[in-house]
Amino acid sequence: MKLLIALAVGALTLGGSTPGVSSSTITLGSSGPLTGEAAAAAGVLKGADAYFKYVNARGGVNGRKIDFKFLDDAYDPARTVQNVRQLIQQDNVFALFSVVGTNGNLAVRDFANAAGVPTVFSASGATTFGRDYAKYPWTIGYLPPYAEEGKLYAKHILVTNAKKAKVAVLYQSDDYGKDLLAGFRRGLGAKARTTIVQTVGYDPTSSDIQSQVAQLKASGANTLCVFAFGKFAIQAFVYANKLGWKPQIYVNDVASASSIMVLDPQSTAEGAISILWGKDPATPKFKGDAGVVLATKIVKKYVPGGSASDGFLVAGMAEAFSMVDALKASGKNPTRKGLMNAVTHMNEANNPFLVPGVKVHTTPTSRFPISSVQLQRWHKGHWEPFGGVVSAKP
Amino acid sequence: MRLKVGLVLAAFAVLALLPIPLSEFRTVQLATVGAYVIAILGLDVLAGHSGQISLGHGAFMAVGGYTTAILMAQHGVRDVWTIPIAGVVAGAIGLLAGLPALRLTGFYLALATFGIAVALPTIPKKFDKLTGGSTGITLFGSKHQTGHGAGIWGLTNNEWLYALTWTIAGFLFLVAWWLLGSRFGRSLRAVRDSELAATASGVNRAKYKVLAFGVSAAYAGVAGALYAINIAYVSPDTFPVQLSLYLLVGAVVGFFGSIWGAVLGALLIQFLPDIVRVVLHVDTKQAGPTTFFYGAVLVGLMLVLPLVLRAARVLSRP
Repeated sequence: MKLLIALAVGALTLGGSTPGVSSSTITLGSSGPLTGEAAAAAGVLKGADAYFKYVNARGGVNGRKIDFKFLDDAYDPARTVQNVRQLIQQDNVFALFSVVGTNGNLAVRDFANAAGVPTVFSASGATTFGRDYAKYPWTIGYLPPYAEEGKLYAKHILVTNAKKAKVAVLYQSDDYGKDLLAGFRRGLGAKARTTIVQTVGYDPTSSDIQSQVAQLKASGANTLCVFAFGKFAIQAFVYANKLGWKPQIYVNDVASASSIMVLDPQSTAEGAISILWGKDPATPKFKGDAGVVLATKIVKKYVPGGSASDGFLVAGMAEAFSMVDALKASGKNPTRKGLMNAVTHMNEANNPFLVPGVKVHTTPTSRFPISSVQLQRWHKGHWEPFGGVVSAKP
Repeated sequence: MRLKVGLVLAAFAVLALLPIPLSEFRTVQLATVGAYVIAILGLDVLAGHSGQISLGHGAFMAVGGYTTAILMAQHGVRDVWTIPIAGVVAGAIGLLAGLPALRLTGFYLALATFGIAVALPTIPKKFDKLTGGSTGITLFGSKHQTGHGAGIWGLTNNEWLYALTWTIAGFLFLVAWWLLGSRFGRSLRAVRDSELAATASGVNRAKYKVLAFGVSAAYAGVAGALYAINIAYVSPDTFPVQLSLYLLVGAVVGFFGSIWGAVLGALLIQFLPDIVRVVLHVDTKQAGPTTFFYGAVLVGLMLVLPLVLRAARVLSRP
């Protein structure tokens, strides 16, 4: 009898000690806008899911298949909270991976950290997810920090048009847009006061931003920063075009997917500047690139109805590639602590879905996985990268 | 009578023991159902007994939820003490809303209250210092949460939330039952059935209509406070327009019965997405089909439920 109990206890500690890890599977959970206004970003989760399926078909990670559960929150943080609760308390996930959206991630951060559940490679570039690890040791983001992105646009303006630039900024009035704006201001430094002539925020749940764009045009600016999301970015281009306004446009990474940009009036979009870090399959420069070819193959096989030119899908695959690396590094019997150790010791230079020269690099005190990017310019219906890879490390 | 007492006791027993076989997550979901039950009870007082339809009860829940969140996050008030305060604040706003409602009836009143539900979620966005704007307020990890972490009285955090919510729901049910059986309830029904006759019999029509609004909104405020405590997070999207619609649907289901109907309506609000996904095998990751089936299930229920309830009444006749 004693032996039986000892065996049972042994089996429990060996097999069942880590939630979400069985002998044959690792369960990961996520939440993101599969429906609603921001549904374009669902590509991140679908791309990641497709890459996991691709890895599973090749034997999985250390013999375990990845079971990726992702739930719809329609970009509503109240629903992200409920989803994450379900994933942790009902579905017993090993870790949360690539939860989409700054507000959603902010809303679940306390809960996930109290539960000691790794929340890794969140699809947000809000600086706090990389900076505040002392308070939130279980959380780490993935995208280049928004504040640094804003700074890069400022630097570009200072280099190319420091004297004449009069800048108007459209920003989403939450932590996402404000982070970008703050970085942009810091990048301009002493010139911020004279260079920025107008900033106008919009509410992420509003339906239309026509009046905001008109207000920005009326400021007499010749440069427009669009720090927006999805349809609002499109509206900014459309209304600028309607008003006959032709400023030099800077559009932030998340809002600049080729699939979104082609919808904009091209006379307005022409010459717009953004950054990139993941390979955009719609960019001619990457035609025939091994990573893009692989992504296309995976999309065809594992994303029914998915478009091979959707940059969100490739971004999701890039995140999933890093996740698989981190899981491998967590060893044969992964633990939650082991995973956090792995994601804070990343040194990945071979991610096929990232722009050449962009590496995934973290240390326990530098938690910004993607901290180098390249500038790109919209020209004749597609993005053209220019200049070398530059640092976006805070 | 004996049968009824038996039924109520059985229901209590089931309610008390239910969390044992359920997972932590389902337990907290059922706690949320308890909050909806309270809101629907309040709506029952207003719409069922005073004949005033409100499409804006989600807004009163929002008032309660934000009262709790702001008191906990910024003034260090323990969660349980915020509940009565939330009820009083929402009740006061309900009384104010009841004043213009005196001049409105039927469709006009429904649309005016709908306006409240549409307009209110935009207010927290305006005062983002106080309310956290569209990022909302996270209460999780607040030291003013009762039963958080190791739990309280041997209950886990979620079991405590369940017990708290359903105890208050039970208490408020008794209060509503007593109120509606008293002079207050009789006056409400008199005004509902004929304002002229009621006034002629000496019932102060305006007083009772406004009071009904206040009581009803106070119930919604308590419901919103409990909702915020359960979810530990509020944002403008926590109380969307749809919530007001669902509450009315829940109340309409509830009118025919009593407390049972309110529970049924509350269960429906919480589990409709699961019903659509699990029973009808609809892929809820697609927006179109999900919304369509929500609507279809609701229409179906509205058609079937009155028949079921009538049948139940005929069968239970001695």
